[in-house]
Amino acid sequence: MTLPTLLFVATALAYVAAGALFFAHLRSGGEKLSGFAARALGVAIALHVSFLAADYALSGRAPLATVHQTLDVLSLVIAVGFLASMRRHRLPVLGAFITPVTLLLFLAAALRGQSARVPEGVRSLLLPFHIIVNVLGLAAFALAFAVAVAYVIQEQLLRKRQVGGVFQRLPALDVLDALGFRLVTIGFPLFTLGVVTGSIWAARLGNGLSFSTGQGFGVLAWIFFACVLLSRAAGGWSGRRAAIGTMLGFLCAMAAIGGYVLRSVGG
Amino acid sequence: MSGKLMVFGLSYRTAPLAVRERLAVGEEQVPADLRGLVQDAGLHEGVLLSTCNRVELVATSDDPEKSAQAALAYFNARVAPEQVDGCVYRYVGQDAARHLFRVTSGLDSMVLGEPQILGQVKEAFAVAQRTGTVGTLLGRSFERGFSVAKRVRTETGVAAGNVSVSSIACDLAEKIFGELTGRRVLIVGAGKMSEVAARSLTSRGARLFVVNRSPERAQALAEACGGQARPLEALATELAEADVVISSTAKQDYIITYELMQGVCKMRRHKPIFLIDIAVPRDIDPRVDSLRNVFLYDMDDLQKVSRENMAARERAVVTAEQMIDAELAELERWLRSVELTPTIVALRERVRGLLHAELEKTLSKLGVPDKDRRQLEAMCEAMANKLLHQPLTALKQAQTDHAGVELVEAVQRLFQLQVDGNAQARTASEPAVAADPALAAASSPRSDGSGPSG
Repeated sequence: MTLPTLLFVATALAYVAAGALFFAHLRSGGEKLSGFAARALGVAIALHVSFLAADYALSGRAPLATVHQTLDVLSLVIAVGFLASMRRHRLPVLGAFITPVTLLLFLAAALRGQSARVPEGVRSLLLPFHIIVNVLGLAAFALAFAVAVAYVIQEQLLRKRQVGGVFQRLPALDVLDALGFRLVTIGFPLFTLGVVTGSIWAARLGNGLSFSTGQGFGVLAWIFFACVLLSRAAGGWSGRRAAIGTMLGFLCAMAAIGGYVLRSVGG
Repeated sequence: MSGKLMVFGLSYRTAPLAVRERLAVGEEQVPADLRGLVQDAGLHEGVLLSTCNRVELVATSDDPEKSAQAALAYFNARVAPEQVDGCVYRYVGQDAARHLFRVTSGLDSMVLGEPQILGQVKEAFAVAQRTGTVGTLLGRSFERGFSVAKRVRTETGVAAGNVSVSSIACDLAEKIFGELTGRRVLIVGAGKMSEVAARSLTSRGARLFVVNRSPERAQALAEACGGQARPLEALATELAEADVVISSTAKQDYIITYELMQGVCKMRRHKPIFLIDIAVPRDIDPRVDSLRNVFLYDMDDLQKVSRENMAARERAVVTAEQMIDAELAELERWLRSVELTPTIVALRERVRGLLHAELEKTLSKLGVPDKDRRQLEAMCEAMANKLLHQPLTALKQAQTDHAGVELVEAVQRLFQLQVDGNAQARTASEPAVAADPALAAASSPRSDGSGPSG
C-alpha cells in the first residue's frame, strides 16, 4: 500500500468515526460526545491535508487540476468550514448531517478515471477561477444542505409532537432557517460566477461539447437557489419550502458533479 | 453520648393541605421554634424544613422515640391530635438519611424532580446554622445531601424536560423562534392559564399584547404582565403581527377559524407562527395546523408532552436512587470511622503495643527472672492506663459538645490510627457508644446532660 492510499483510508475512517460520534451526540446528547466528534473531525481534516500533500508530492498533480481533486478539495473546505462555524454558532449536532456529505464527496473523489484531466483546449486563466469559485460556492451550499436537512427533520418532529430528545438537541427552527439563508446567500454569487465562467468556456469550446447532462443539472441547481433567494426576498418561501429548495438545489449540483466524475471515469 | 439521625414530620403524601397549612412555620418563627424543640425534645441538633408541601424536623437525638413524642406535641400545639394522627412519619438512622437525600434531590416532591426543594432545604439548613443548632452530624448529612442532589440533577434525567403546561409552551416557542427577546406574544382571552403562560414568556423577553371580549379584563391582564391591550376587532391584524398566540377564551366555537388564519397567513407572508390553544372547548380550528409555517398545539398536545417528560423523569429515578445508595454508603463509612469506641480501642492498642514492645526489647537483653518480668509487665500496663486516662476522659467528654468528631479525627491523625468504616471493634469492657453503629454520631452541639458513658 502506498502512502497516499494509506492516508486515504485513514482519512475516510476518521470521517466515518467523526460522523458516527456526531450522530451519537444527536441521538443521545452529551457534551463529551460532541467534543470527541469535533476532535475526530479535526483529525480527519489533518489526515485529509496530508493525503492531498502526499498525493501532490508523489504524483505531481496539482490540486484542482482534475474534477476528482476538485472534489477532494471541496470536501476538505466543507469540513473546515463546518468546524470553524461550529465553534462560532455552537451547532455541533449539525455534524451528523455535514460529515456524511463530506465523506461522500471524499469517496467520490477516489473514483479516479483515466482521462480525468481537463482537455488542453479548454485550459485558460479562466479555469482555476472557475474551479475555485465553484468549490467555495458548493461548500457553502453543502453546509446549507445540512442545515436544511436539520430544518426539515426538526419541523417534522414538531408537527408529529415528538418534541423530546432529538428535537431538543437540534437548534431552533428560526435559527436553522436564518443560517440556511445566510449560507445560500454566500454560496449563490460564487456559484453564479462558476456557472457563468463555465458557460463562457463551453461556448468558446464550440462544437465539441453539446449541452451535457452535467451542465443541465448545474443550471437547474442555479435555478433552485435563485428561487430560494428571490422568493424569500419577495416573501413566502421561508421555512420548509426554502429548506426543500436548498436541498434540491444542492442535490442537482451534486448530480452535475456526478455527471463529470462518471464521464471521466467512463472515458 | 452520641445521637442518631432522625426525621419527623408530614408531607403532601400523608397530610391534607388543611393540616399542612396550619403547621407551616413562618421564616421568622423558625429560629425560636428550633431552639424550643431542641430543648424540649432533647435534640443534639435540629433543622426545621417548612414548605407548602412538607413540614419536617431533621435532627439528631439519643432517644428518637422520646424526641418524636416531643415533636408531635409541638405539632399538636397547633393542630388537634386526631388530625395529625396517622399523618406523621418518623425515620431513624439510615432511613432518615435516605429520606433527607430523596427530599433534597426532588425524588419526594409532588412534581418529581422539581428544583425549588433544593433551595428550600439549603435555606432551612442556613437558618438552623445561624440559630446554632447544626453540628457535625447534621452538617455532614446535609452537605452529602446537597452534593447528591446536584449529581442527580445534572447526571440523571430526573429534572430534565418541563412538565408544566405553560413552561412546555414556552420551551416550544423557544425551539421555534430561538430567542424570545422582542417576539410578539398575543393573548386571546384573559384567563388565569393564559396569565401564567404570558408571564413566563415575558420573563424571557417577549412583548405582550392582549385581546379580550371585555376590554377591561384585557387592560387588567396587560397591566399585570406589562403588555398592551388591543380591541377584539383587531384580532386579524394582531394575528398577522404575532409570533406566539395563546388562546383561552370561554367561547363555544372557534374564534380563530381556518378561513381567518388563511387570510392572516397571506398578510404575514407565511412567517412562522406558533398557536397555543389551551381553551376547552377549543378556540382554534385544528385544521390550521396544516397551513404553511403555522404550528398549532392544543391542551392535549401539551399534556402529551408533559406526560412524556414525566415518564422520562420516572425512568431516571432508578439511576437517582442508585446515586443516593452510594452516597448513603459513603456517609455510613464516615460515621463508622468517627465512632468513639473503635478509636479508643485502637488508641489503647497502639499505646500498649508500643510500651510492651520496648519492654520486650529491654528484657531480652537483661535476662530478668519471671517474677520480676511479671512486675515489669504490670508496671507497663499501669503506665499505659495512666497515660491514656486523661485523653480518654477528654474524648468521652467531647462527645457531648461540638468538638466530638473533630477530636476523634484529631486523635486518629496524631496516633496514625487506622479506624476504617467497616470496623466494628467492640469489646465487653468497652460499652457501646451507639446502639446503631450505622448512623450513630459521635458529636452533638448540645448535651442533654446525661454525660459520657464509660
